[in-house]
Amino acid sequence: MTRILCATRGGEASYRMQDAVIALSQERQAELLFLYVVNIEFLGKTERAVRLDVVEEEMAKLGHFLLEMARERALQQGVTAGGILRHGRLSEELKAAAVELEVDLIVLGKPAAEGGLYSLEDLEALTAEVQTETGIPVQIL
Amino acid sequence: MQRRHQRKAGFWFLLASLSFLSLLLIGVSPVRASEGPALTGGVIDGQGQPVSGAEVALYLDGDPSPALQQETDHLGHFVFDLSNPPSESAQIVITRSQFEPNTLIVGAADLAVLQAGGAVRLADVELAREITAGFWIAILVFAGMLVLIITELLHTTAAALLAAASVLTISLVGQVFDEGLFIIGFEQAIEYVDFEVIFLVLGMMIIVGTIERTGIFQWAAYQAYRISRGRLWLLAVILMVLTSVASALLDNVTTMLLMAPITLQIALTLGVNPLALLIPEMLASNVGGISTLIGTPNNILIGSYAGLGFNDFLTNLTPGVLMVQVALTLYVVWVFRGPYRGSGGADSESLLALLKEHARITEPEVLRKAGIVFLATLLLFIFGERFHLVPAVTAMIGGAATLVVVRADVEEILHVVDWTTLLFFIALFMVIGALQEVGLISLIGSGIHSLVGENLTAATLITVWGTAMLCLLIPTVPLTAALLPVVGFLSRSIPGATTNVLYYSLSMGSALGANNSLIGATNNMVTAGISQRAGFPITYRAFIRVGFPAAVITLLVGTLWILIRF
Repeated sequence: MTRILCATRGGEASYRMQDAVIALSQERQAELLFLYVVNIEFLGKTERAVRLDVVEEEMAKLGHFLLEMARERALQQGVTAGGILRHGRLSEELKAAAVELEVDLIVLGKPAAEGGLYSLEDLEALTAEVQTETGIPVQIL
Repeated sequence: MQRRHQRKAGFWFLLASLSFLSLLLIGVSPVRASEGPALTGGVIDGQGQPVSGAEVALYLDGDPSPALQQETDHLGHFVFDLSNPPSESAQIVITRSQFEPNTLIVGAADLAVLQAGGAVRLADVELAREITAGFWIAILVFAGMLVLIITELLHTTAAALLAAASVLTISLVGQVFDEGLFIIGFEQAIEYVDFEVIFLVLGMMIIVGTIERTGIFQWAAYQAYRISRGRLWLLAVILMVLTSVASALLDNVTTMLLMAPITLQIALTLGVNPLALLIPEMLASNVGGISTLIGTPNNILIGSYAGLGFNDFLTNLTPGVLMVQVALTLYVVWVFRGPYRGSGGADSESLLALLKEHARITEPEVLRKAGIVFLATLLLFIFGERFHLVPAVTAMIGGAATLVVVRADVEEILHVVDWTTLLFFIALFMVIGALQEVGLISLIGSGIHSLVGENLTAATLITVWGTAMLCLLIPTVPLTAALLPVVGFLSRSIPGATTNVLYYSLSMGSALGANNSLIGATNNMVTAGISQRAGFPITYRAFIRVGFPAAVITLLVGTLWILIRF
């Protein structure tokens, strides 16, 4: 049985991508795993007192919640999906998770039209990097 | 076992250090060394403000070498105790970097008093400002620091430290080649560091850092969800009140960092766009912080500079903040009337269970103890002024009490204290000190004074609205720190401004101006960061569409309050 790893967050753009990857896993009879990566580097430039450990814990809870939403979405469409939460940079964690879980395909969502974390160029560069380093194909949906 | 001893030793060391360092807050006034003939005087600048650190040389009876030399103290005073009074003449030469030298000849009548063994108080000597190369360099360094912070090319602390180091290096090394390059000496720079601010922030960090890990924010947000029973407008109002109160009593960045993730989960459980709850919280957080001394770093800076206590903010700003909050709530309910129209209901049992799990109090015992200490600290803020307790000392007591009562791991406490923030404040004070030394602050103050004349209402309006508009470009903390000496100058020179109205105007303007744009406040930025990581980006445009009108409305109400109150 093939295994698909899908990095996800939440929001409208992610919902569309989740639907697409759920359909893909049904079509390929593949096991689907959603991945959420907690990264609090954006707090690194604030001049205010921030308890990074507490914030990271809260972001992890949020991540679990978003993964649960994705899993529910899959279940509603007849697919049982798993959820994995990791801490760190997306590129590093994506590669590490893909290798550890021996996945056959990695799926990433197209960036949101406005305000997304990554541009399409960033995503394509990430795709190339992950494919080269892991040998696992990456698909942008 | 050894580790336990180390921790215990570290705990008491930190406690002792806190106690010892608090003693540094106590100032010592200079006194005359002996009775007998003495010559005293003061040195002031063009705005009548004392000039400290000026070299004062006393020449007696035509001798080309000075008989005595001294530096003016922080009040611009000098005192010469004369064992041998002058027989013919006495002349005082005053020099200081950034000023033109001045000479004062002691008159015959004063000479006679000295010769009779009496003390003479000379008239204040005014030094005229000199625009040197250091003036332009200090401005360039400050502007460079702001650019580095705004563009995020460097961490704010690194940017401020780089600026402070640059000013000091140019001053110390540059003066060898050209005296005009001197801006500020190291000891002078240290004198500009407001240790009241540092210790107030430090004490509050320990208290807040202990409370924030208990889950109280998340629990309270979940109670808002329960109470509102799916009525989204009511949920938004309760969350706004909660955020506002938490921001007033704790810290608005901490509040939003902890409220944002749980708010996102509540919104997603109810199937409502999270921005309809998050943006109102951000706006309310900026407003709520104004009402107390400890609500925002701006208020801490203002309170320490102007000598305003906890009760001053409570009596002069809290009622105004309540008015502003009501106006903001009405505006928010109207702006988000679309998303709020529907009734939110939790469809997913598993999501609801997860939300409930994430919203529980994680450390009830710590919360109970830290909560009691926090309430006691609040009471001490209110009543401590009667016992001459300055807010910094109250915060230190609260921090120390938290260490003792909660018995937290000292290493964890060291993590709670954000040393980079404290370093940022120290470096920022030095850079602002450099601007004061070269006379830029006096120049801006004089410019505004000539613009508004003696009109206090005009000065109030300019302070509130000018500060708020500057928030569009400059982060509020460095902005407030830079504007404080200007407001201080205006408060001393405009009739009627001694009520501190302009300081409250600065507080109002800097906090409400933060709602102008996404980059206006740190809590806006961190909330946007969290929301983006959940897939709901708050764009600059989306925020300004709601935030800018909110800023205008709240500024109008806030200005109205200031004008009524003063």
